[in-house]
Amino acid sequence: MSEPLLTLDNTAIVLDSTCDAPEGFFERDGLFMVPLRVHFGDESFRDGVDLGHDEFFAKLEGSEVLPTTSQPTDAEFAAAFEEARRHYEHVFSLHISRKMSGTFQAAERAAQGFDGVEVYDLKTVSAAMAMCAERLRARLEPGCTLAEARAYIEHFAAHSQLLVHAATLEYLRRGGRIGRAASLVGGVFDIKPLIYCLDGELTPYAKVRGQKKAFAAMERFLDEHSTPDDELHYCLIDALNPEEITLVDELIKRARPKAHFHFRGRVGAVVGTHIGPGTTAFALIVE
Amino acid sequence: MVRAIAIAAIEAALAAVEAERQLINDLNVYPVPDGDTGTNLALTVRAVLDELEQSDAEGIPGVAAAVTKGSLMGARGNSGVILSQVVRGVCEVWGTSGSLDVRVVKEALDAGQAAAYRAVKEPVEGTMLTVIREMAIAAQAMPDSLGLETLLAAVDEAGSSAVERTTSQLAALQKAGVVDAGGYGLLVLFRGLATGIEELLRGGGVSTRPRRGRPVAVTSAGLALETESELSQYRYCTSFLVRGEGLDAAAFEVFLAPLGDSALVVGDEHMMKVHVHVDDPGVVLSRAVAMGAVGEIDINDMHEQTRARDERLRHDAAGDEAATVVVAVVAGEGNKQLFRELGCGAIVDGGQSMNPSAAQLLEAVEALGCDEVVILPNNGNVILTAEQAAGMSARHIAVIPSSSIPAGLAAMVAFEPERDAVDNARLMEEAIDGIQSAEITYAVRDSEVDGVEVREGQAIGIVDGTLVAAGDAVDEVFGRVLETLAANGADQLTVLTSLNGSGTTPARLGELAARVAPDLELHVYDGGQPLYPILVSAE
Repeated sequence: MSEPLLTLDNTAIVLDSTCDAPEGFFERDGLFMVPLRVHFGDESFRDGVDLGHDEFFAKLEGSEVLPTTSQPTDAEFAAAFEEARRHYEHVFSLHISRKMSGTFQAAERAAQGFDGVEVYDLKTVSAAMAMCAERLRARLEPGCTLAEARAYIEHFAAHSQLLVHAATLEYLRRGGRIGRAASLVGGVFDIKPLIYCLDGELTPYAKVRGQKKAFAAMERFLDEHSTPDDELHYCLIDALNPEEITLVDELIKRARPKAHFHFRGRVGAVVGTHIGPGTTAFALIVE
Repeated sequence: MVRAIAIAAIEAALAAVEAERQLINDLNVYPVPDGDTGTNLALTVRAVLDELEQSDAEGIPGVAAAVTKGSLMGARGNSGVILSQVVRGVCEVWGTSGSLDVRVVKEALDAGQAAAYRAVKEPVEGTMLTVIREMAIAAQAMPDSLGLETLLAAVDEAGSSAVERTTSQLAALQKAGVVDAGGYGLLVLFRGLATGIEELLRGGGVSTRPRRGRPVAVTSAGLALETESELSQYRYCTSFLVRGEGLDAAAFEVFLAPLGDSALVVGDEHMMKVHVHVDDPGVVLSRAVAMGAVGEIDINDMHEQTRARDERLRHDAAGDEAATVVVAVVAGEGNKQLFRELGCGAIVDGGQSMNPSAAQLLEAVEALGCDEVVILPNNGNVILTAEQAAGMSARHIAVIPSSSIPAGLAAMVAFEPERDAVDNARLMEEAIDGIQSAEITYAVRDSEVDGVEVREGQAIGIVDGTLVAAGDAVDEVFGRVLETLAANGADQLTVLTSLNGSGTTPARLGELAARVAPDLELHVYDGGQPLYPILVSAE
């Protein structure tokens, strides 16, 4: 007997809100989102539910207290899994790197009570996660085997790349979210560091000053992780920096004319708490 | 004999404070986080030693008077002045006692705490005052029969507990998670003094025995700095001594009240010590000069001190794995700030018209206490001096031949603290190799240089040592310098300005650059350096 086929009709994908998906992403069937929380003093909001991109940055600017974030509870994941399993046979739950948040562990604990729910650490963050879901759906659309779906997610977790051009390191440092970059200077003297995701951890890529040097370094990063002939998929992410993200898009289109652009995600409240405004990023996966 | 014993005991106290001076400085958050309590206490104790060494008093009354006078004259900062009052109370009792026994020590401590409380108009608990009072109370509770060593141990323990409790007594301390710096400094000083006295009573000299007393938990979570400290309401910590006749401390305090805060006026009708935080020290000094002879003037910019303390703590927190530190020679406030923000460990004042000595550089290197050091001379005339300093130290020192401040900044961008000095020298020299330096200054006489006619007072533009333009307006010369740099292939420019009296503005420079060299990426900072309205590096 041949292996059962996974399709968009029998397979759901659960993401957490750090996936910074573009608007309308979760309005489609088979996609579920579990929000993390962001707290301004005593006020608490569900990321992407009670507090969107624009509201968050407006609030951040006007706030005297610095926001903090917290992961979803096991029960919230259990509720999402239950809902997903009611309509779908298979559930893939895809999450922010466990080195950045306890979200993956909460999902993993919650999944123990369910059959057919598989939890993955994507070893990355932000719209890269949404792109993984998008590419998985591209395989579910014609139908794929369970083994193929698993293999794709594992390929994505191992090989996708994320490069972040941070306006400042203040936010990352405050939240302790920058692993190997304790001494990296950022935000002063117009130095905007480039940070990449290495084995699930944010790691300094280059200390650059000025936009020209930053773009030269981005191009080098592209060259290190792809060739012009690869089947390259990418997405863009920005936190209130539409000018620069447009230039990043132009750079990738020029250097990799055959690359497939997916969407421009916008940094949400939880990722925004740790990365701060002005940041741009792009994520890549070679298939 | 009494004088020699006093000197030996006070030297032990000074050594104890010196050993923990930096820690005490770092604990300092109240009333102003200016990070100088350890230094102030050490300087105050040193002044007592200086006075004793110059004195010819031999009996207890004369020596006690000299100690009182020295502490009053040398008192620095809030903590120093309060310490001088503790000393005064103690010496009043000791000076008339004829000996140093249990009964005298108990009475002296009580007189010390009473004098300190009298000097402070609005005593605040959770400070040095609380600590000296708790020590005095514990002393009174001890029976005379148990002997001096037991008494000193009890006072030590009471002081330690009192210091640890200060955190919960003052909101500023609680927020920072530290004990009071002055209180802790007082305990350290007492421990040093007590050790000295005990050694002398045993008949030996003062040795450098390990410190007495139990370890005191001075911070709850380390001295990591989360946010910038708030700056004090008044900017200048001002202290000075007035000598005269019929001085009226109370009246002077009334005069000070509307001008600032943290006012302390102590002394007698012949000699008065003043400490106050104000925005205009001149007003205070003018009034003092009208009353008598003013000396021992000490004025500190607490805003700058607070920033420096923040920077030091941030550097310490980030520098757990720092292998290498940088010492840079820099002129101009804005420029210094840039170096600090880029992770420079120490800055020595200097530049074109005021080259630092090798000894000054060495002192800065030694103060950082790190074995891997990079020096950025940032001036052609300082490179040799820096090399001399490097030759005089046992530490691994690399001198980067940075010949201008912008070149030094380019080197700082490449600095990686976790790597050693040799690696950093390579990275930083590479960074400098890629840049061109330019500067605009004013001609000091008529001349013809590199084929350009120059009149005295004209603005002149120099690119990599060659004069490329002269003109009456800084703007005009800047435009010509830009053209030269752009023609040489530069695409990013760092401009450090000091435009007071130059007839131009940063905005004007930006417009000019957009017109003359539209492809150049321009970064303009207010550097504040003397002599050069504009310093440039291009890469």
